[in-house]
Order: sequence, then structure tokens, then C-alpha cells
Amino acid sequence: MSEQSKDVCDLISAAEASSSEAHRSPGGPGEPSPSASQAATLAGPESRPSGPTDGSLASPPPQASSEEGDPKALQQATEGGRAHQAPTAAQPAPAPPAPAQLVQKAHELMWYVLVKDQKRMIIWFPDMVKDVIGSYKKWCRSILRRTSLILARVFGLHLRLTSLHTMEFSLVKALEPEELDRVALSNRMPMTGLLLMILSLIYVKGRGARESAVWNVLRILGLRPWKKHSTFGDVRRLITEEFVRQNYLKYQRVPHVEPPEYEFFWGSRASREITKMQIMEFLARVFKKDPQAWPSRYREALEEARALREADPTAYCPRSSVSED
Amino acid sequence: MEEGRAERRRRTEAPSHTQGGTRRAGVMTDVHRRFLQLLMTHGVLEEWDVRRLQNHCYRVHDRTAAVEELEDFINNINSVLESLYIEIKKGATEDDGRPVYALVNLATTSVSKMASDFAENELDLFRKALELIIDSETGFASSTNILNLVDQLKGKKMRKKEAEQVLQKFVQNKWLIEKEGEFTLHSRAILEMEQYIRETYPDAVKICNICHSLLIQGQSCETCGIRMHLPCVAKYFQSNSEPRCPHCNDYWPHEIPEVFDPEKEREASTSKANRKSLRSRQH
Repeated sequence: MSEQSKDVCDLISAAEASSSEAHRSPGGPGEPSPSASQAATLAGPESRPSGPTDGSLASPPPQASSEEGDPKALQQATEGGRAHQAPTAAQPAPAPPAPAQLVQKAHELMWYVLVKDQKRMIIWFPDMVKDVIGSYKKWCRSILRRTSLILARVFGLHLRLTSLHTMEFSLVKALEPEELDRVALSNRMPMTGLLLMILSLIYVKGRGARESAVWNVLRILGLRPWKKHSTFGDVRRLITEEFVRQNYLKYQRVPHVEPPEYEFFWGSRASREITKMQIMEFLARVFKKDPQAWPSRYREALEEARALREADPTAYCPRSSVSED
Repeated sequence: MEEGRAERRRRTEAPSHTQGGTRRAGVMTDVHRRFLQLLMTHGVLEEWDVRRLQNHCYRVHDRTAAVEELEDFINNINSVLESLYIEIKKGATEDDGRPVYALVNLATTSVSKMASDFAENELDLFRKALELIIDSETGFASSTNILNLVDQLKGKKMRKKEAEQVLQKFVQNKWLIEKEGEFTLHSRAILEMEQYIRETYPDAVKICNICHSLLIQGQSCETCGIRMHLPCVAKYFQSNSEPRCPHCNDYWPHEIPEVFDPEKEREASTSKANRKSLRSRQH
């Protein structure tokens, strides 16, 4: 956590500057519109201490404007019993809060991060400060550290700063790369299956897959760009926007081609979560062939598997992770 | 890397540290951690999915161990989660009593879980629908009545057509259930928001006489007005030929549904349509 702590200091100062920006503009990657973050503020007593206790700069203007009356009273009424309200004063230089309050903030942050990850949304540091940490900004580092500890110990997840530049965190599974155990549970299967088809197409080609090629493959599944599907809905929007937003795919214009054409690449999230071996196993299942039918790809997958094993010998187990369902 | 080493140490660490609790804390292993991760990913799961998930986690991490009984397994995890104010909560669908599980935050008393998904006016639409559902006799609010409130929404102006789509979004995300043009709460919403609902609408809220949990759909006694969930009715009056109200002893006038049987469910999964006929609204 030591590298992260130093980064966190940089983040805090950067966040001070940008959090005031965040309200006015729709903000960074994947961030919902300002009205959505307004909704987050009005909805959650756990997202910040409300009213008199929140005297610091982290309190955003929207809280004052349209959310009066009902929800605000609601928030305050339900907060009546909350222990952490009373002691924290509204002065700009508050005394160090009781450890119990920091612990509570860490718990709130833990849940916030888990929910963001569940919704496949970006975990943006300024949002964390605005929505959860609030006036406890000075103790941000210890709160973050505690949250990371809890997430690692209880959930086996790493809260990792993936990009200092964009101030994004992500939850990385600290357990072995068995991401496709999502496939084991039917209700996620369709999405994952669709994504895997595209990822494996890209992988087998060894470079980007043109949109036309992807649609050729999807046509086999009965999916067309103009047709709404009962499970997937608007397929084109799903693969060119939703999967891209979640960083599973990249959708880019092919340079120097007229009329404009687009191609798909693996997204950063796909590279993190899905191993080449898993793709090979998926292909083998779908085409009922041995993975070695794609010899050069299989070799690559073996290389990657070996590299992963060497990096962390206790973690990686070569086992079919595309489990039966 | 420092983090990796520390994490690996923690992975095999035995009893967890509970805050100020004298209760015996459970042991977290990778089996439990993966289970929690996946449960969180899916939001809400039915019991048979949860069992599959549990088996999957054992297969991945500890093939030799015997799979612990689900209830103990979950209680074990919950004892660790207790100090974090979160819990794996078990509920049941109100219409046919199928057990469902979700990881819920006990500390939150709002619709905050949804907040990051929806815009301000959409959240307000949900709140309006929620109010109508809670105030209704049947636990259902008609699409028309909800849409008529579109003008009163906070935030950006929403047209009725838009509102219809937002309602469908709620259904897809498992916050609402739609039946014949009427909406009620999904079991997920009930599990996650029970606390919020009870605190926000203390007068309007209905409680089941048997299990004392929040009641949206159910049957009521026509004499004294007490209410019971359909699955609670099924269990309470099981093999009772003369069902009587537990409160006023009057004859219970409604059809008694069958107790949910997971075995029968699996066999009869194709004839699920037949069971729907039992789920008539009994008010």
C-alpha cells in the first residue's frame, strides 16, 4: 500500500481542484450525468454526513438546490440515530475524528466501491471523495488503507489505482483468474458468451476485427445490427457502447479507409480478466475442436499461462475455467 | 510486491477480527471470498443458483473439503460481515415463496444502491411508484397511475413514453416486477430496501403477521385485517383443513397456496405455467 499512499496524496490535491469541476461538467470516463450524481447525494445518508456536519469544501452545490423538503428531511430524520454525526464539528479545521468514525467511513467506502464495481462503473477518486469521504478528506489515506485491507481480507479483492492520470481505481480479483465462473451461472451467460465470441474472434485474427467481420460471426447467432434481440436488446449499442464503456472492448476507426470503417480490439479490462487459455478453451467448446487446432494461438496461450504461473506460482491453476452450466 | 505478499498472508489467516463482538467469528477462506465476490456480482440469486455457486467455489479452491451445509456456510460468512454492517440476507419471493439471497448493506437507509444507475428524475419515478405500491391494497400499482405522476417528478421533464421505458429498465434491473400492466416490488428491492421502506413509510407499511417482515403482496383477514405473505399462509395452514385467522379465529376465506418445494420445482420446471394460476391476488 506504500506506493498507493504516495499516489493518494497526489490524488487528494488533484481531487480538490477537480471536485469543484465535477459538478459543472459531465466529467470523466463513464461518469453519469450531473443529475445522476445529484441523485446519489440526495439518496444516501451514508454517502456523506448531511447538514451541519458537512462544512467542508467537498459538499457540492447541488445539495442546496433542488433536493430540499422531502428527501433532505428524510435524510436528516433517518440520520437522527447515527453516531458519527454528533462529534464531527463544522469547523474548517476539525479535530481528528474518533477511530470508530474512520472505521465507519471505511465501511461506507467499501460498499460504495463494491456497488460501483457491480454496476461495472468507473471508480473515480474525486467521486469517492465527494460521495463518501466528504469532510474526512484529510484522513483519506487511512480510510483508503483500511478499506483496501477489508476488501482483501473479506472479499479477496484488491482496490488498485489503475491510472494516476485519470484517477481511476478498480477492483482486481486477487484470486486466480477464474473470471469465467460467471459463465457458471446462467443469468450472466448470454452476455459473457457474446463478449467471448467477439474477443475470441479478435484473438484468433491476431489483430483488430473489423466490424463487418464481427457481424458475420454474430449473424450465426441470429444477431443483426438493426434487429432488437429478446435478450440483448440493441446489440449494436451493446457491443459498440456498453462493452466499450466497461473496457472489455475498444471500438476504433480504421485509419485511412473511406468510407469509414471501424474495428474492435480487446479492452484493458478484458486483458486483465480473461486469459488466452480461457479463450482457447471457449473456442474448443464452441467449435468442438481441440485448442491445438489453432497452433500459433495455442502456443501464445501456453506462453501467457507460463508467465502467469511464474509471476505467482501459488495462484494459477491450469484448469478449465469455462465451467459447465 | 508488498501488497501481494501481505495479501497472501491474509489469505490463509484464520479467525477474522470482529469489532467489539464476543461472538465467535467465522473463518474466511478463498472459498468464502470467491462466493462473496460472485454473489455481489449477481446482485440477487435464487437458492438453487446459490447452491451451484457454493459448489463451484469449493471445486475451484478446495476440492477435497466437504461442502458445508448452506445455512451454516452463510452464517459463517455473516459472522465475519457483521462488523462491516453488511449481510447475506435471505428472503423469499412473495408470490410463490422461492428463497432468494442478496448481499445487503444494513447501514444504508435509502435507495442509494440504485442511485448510481439512474438519473434524478428516474429515481424520483421509482420513489413515486414505490409509494403507490405501498399504499395500495393489493401491493400493485397500475402503469396508468404511475405515469400520471410524471409531471410531479424532480429533475428533467420526463414524457410518459420515456417513463414507460424507465419502468421497463426497473424491471430489467430487478427492482420492479410487472404483471398485466401493474407493477410491484421485486424480491431484490424488498431485500435491499426493507429497512428504508419501514423507516420512510412507517404508517403506510404493511407487516406480515407470521414472519413480521415487510409485506407488499399477501392475503388479509376480512374481519380483523391482519395480513400474511402467501408463502407464510402456505406454511401456517399446511395440511389444515379448516384454516382460521391466527388473530381473530374467524374462518380464513382465501385459497391456501402450496408450500414451495424445490424438488417438485425442478421436475416441473416446464409446467411452471400451471403454478402461476395459484398466484392470484387474493384481496
